[in-house]
Amino acid sequence: MSSNARETGRREGAFEREPARRVFASELRECRYDFKEGTDEKSPTFVLLPTGERCNRIFIVGTLTEKQRQGDQNIFYRGRVVDPTGTFFIMAGSYQPEAMQQLAKVDAPAFVAVIGKPSIYRKDEASAPMVSVRVESINIVDKDTRDLWVLDTAARTLDRIEKFKTSPEPDVKKAKEIYPAIDPEVFRRMAYDALAQIKI
Amino acid sequence: MDFSETAERISRKFQKSGHTIDPKKIEGKLRRLIEEFGVQPSEAERSVTNDLAKEFNIPQMGTTGGTGKSGSATDPKNIADVSPEEWVTIEGKVVALSSPGSPAIAQSGIIADESGGIRFVAWAKSNAPVMTVGSWYKIESAVVDDFKGIASLKIHSGTTVKECETDGALVPSTVPVVNLHPGVGSVRAKVIQEWDTTHERMLQSGILGDETGTIKFVIWKEPGKEKLEVGSVYNIFYAMVDEFNGRHSLNLNTATIMQDDGDIEVGGGNATVRGALVHIAPGSGIIKRCPVDGCNRALSRQNYCPVHEIQPRFIYDLRIKGWLDDGEKTHNILLQRDVVESLTGITLDAAKEIAENNPLGMDEVFLQMRDKVLGRYVTCHGREIDNRILVNTCERLAFESSEHAALLNRAGGAP
Repeated sequence: MSSNARETGRREGAFEREPARRVFASELRECRYDFKEGTDEKSPTFVLLPTGERCNRIFIVGTLTEKQRQGDQNIFYRGRVVDPTGTFFIMAGSYQPEAMQQLAKVDAPAFVAVIGKPSIYRKDEASAPMVSVRVESINIVDKDTRDLWVLDTAARTLDRIEKFKTSPEPDVKKAKEIYPAIDPEVFRRMAYDALAQIKI
Repeated sequence: MDFSETAERISRKFQKSGHTIDPKKIEGKLRRLIEEFGVQPSEAERSVTNDLAKEFNIPQMGTTGGTGKSGSATDPKNIADVSPEEWVTIEGKVVALSSPGSPAIAQSGIIADESGGIRFVAWAKSNAPVMTVGSWYKIESAVVDDFKGIASLKIHSGTTVKECETDGALVPSTVPVVNLHPGVGSVRAKVIQEWDTTHERMLQSGILGDETGTIKFVIWKEPGKEKLEVGSVYNIFYAMVDEFNGRHSLNLNTATIMQDDGDIEVGGGNATVRGALVHIAPGSGIIKRCPVDGCNRALSRQNYCPVHEIQPRFIYDLRIKGWLDDGEKTHNILLQRDVVESLTGITLDAAKEIAENNPLGMDEVFLQMRDKVLGRYVTCHGREIDNRILVNTCERLAFESSEHAALLNRAGGAP
């Protein structure tokens, strides 16, 4: 009785915000597959992580090392946010004026928290897919927040790796199919290295 | 395809109103619609019924809901699986009848099967047989609609109601209070509080709770209804769950209530969430509130209260509305003044000063607060009411080296 058609039908009306997943740069970089659930124009798009979790939104904390303003008609900002494992490519355009202004205000280098939506794109047919993050919000934070994020993200990554082995969830199955060459155990090593970089 | 059953059903309906129609003729009409025009069978049935009704000058035989959904209207469905705008056939037991609120309604109540219960209404015009509590019925071609967000089964003139031989006992499964959703629900809960009745027709109202949360309940005066005892635990089967202003409440008049010897540790909706503040919503920061006694609504920038109009003698207040995200779920949170002050370090007086003297005014308070909290890790304690946490305390998370060490061990451990 708890999960019947009527309930889910009605629940569609109630808005559920997509959670912001915690993922390290070197895992996000491996994403090759995105998909949409439902046919509605507004249905969320998800990027499938190699550890078998879908994400529509991510939360990252790292160091903004570079920031560039680009375009003249359609101004947008690009930036690089570095975590202990690699680099996130972030961007904010004039369609997200608030995010763009927030990004414009930050001077590199700085610790920043970014809430944004990951997407996969290719420069052209021949080039490798790139994952970039469209910024919804960005804010300057302190080093403590960065360290807390590394703990949080390491824990979430380890959770996913453990789930990956046994879980029969469709997303996990799909990840095994899409990323046959990736053994999630490499992300365990990555998480360890990230944790080891925090000085006590 | 065989249309004789449907044709028979339509013919029977008209027989009741004294018209004899050759089922063969009906079958022909149905066949034409379904086979030539690709009309859904349920829609064809409705259409033919209406057509014939017009021919015989019988008002409103089918219903006007033009969008009969696909799917067979004649195969019995589980009650839990029906959804609004569907034509369905169900088989269930009438577990409660309530007094109809309008002369247009012959009977209303709750019908249930193993999968769950649903409210039903039998229109006076439907000429449906009188149903009695405790009997099983097969209800063919009823329409499910959505009245105030609650699914309900409408028995109209196109519906056939047959009493069944079945005499199965029905044991409803109770759900946790937090999982109740508008419609019909069964819970095992304890009466925590009794309120003064606010209406002369009201027998009792108060709060019920279980491990997962609390809900308001009401019992209206009716012969045979008794008050519940505060502190006692009850099994409540087939109560009506209503929603008002985003809050759920239970109407126990339809319910079968049995006292239970056990006890329940009531959860009271206490919630603790640890996560990152991923969004600070507009309307956060310093706000103006309506000064009228008992109103306290947030005013617009022009000091307009939706009820009391322009209020130049407003009262300032602080609040933060936002989303707290633990990576698995995002929680809607609301921080009140004292929590905002301690989290941001900006007092109401300081915020007032900024609002009145800074060129950006109230926006500046919003921006300063956002910059102080957005993207930060916090732990919030509070009461969860309908997916929103009213936060009592909110603290910045501190880095714990023990947690760090534990994670290093976990990551470095044997794969």
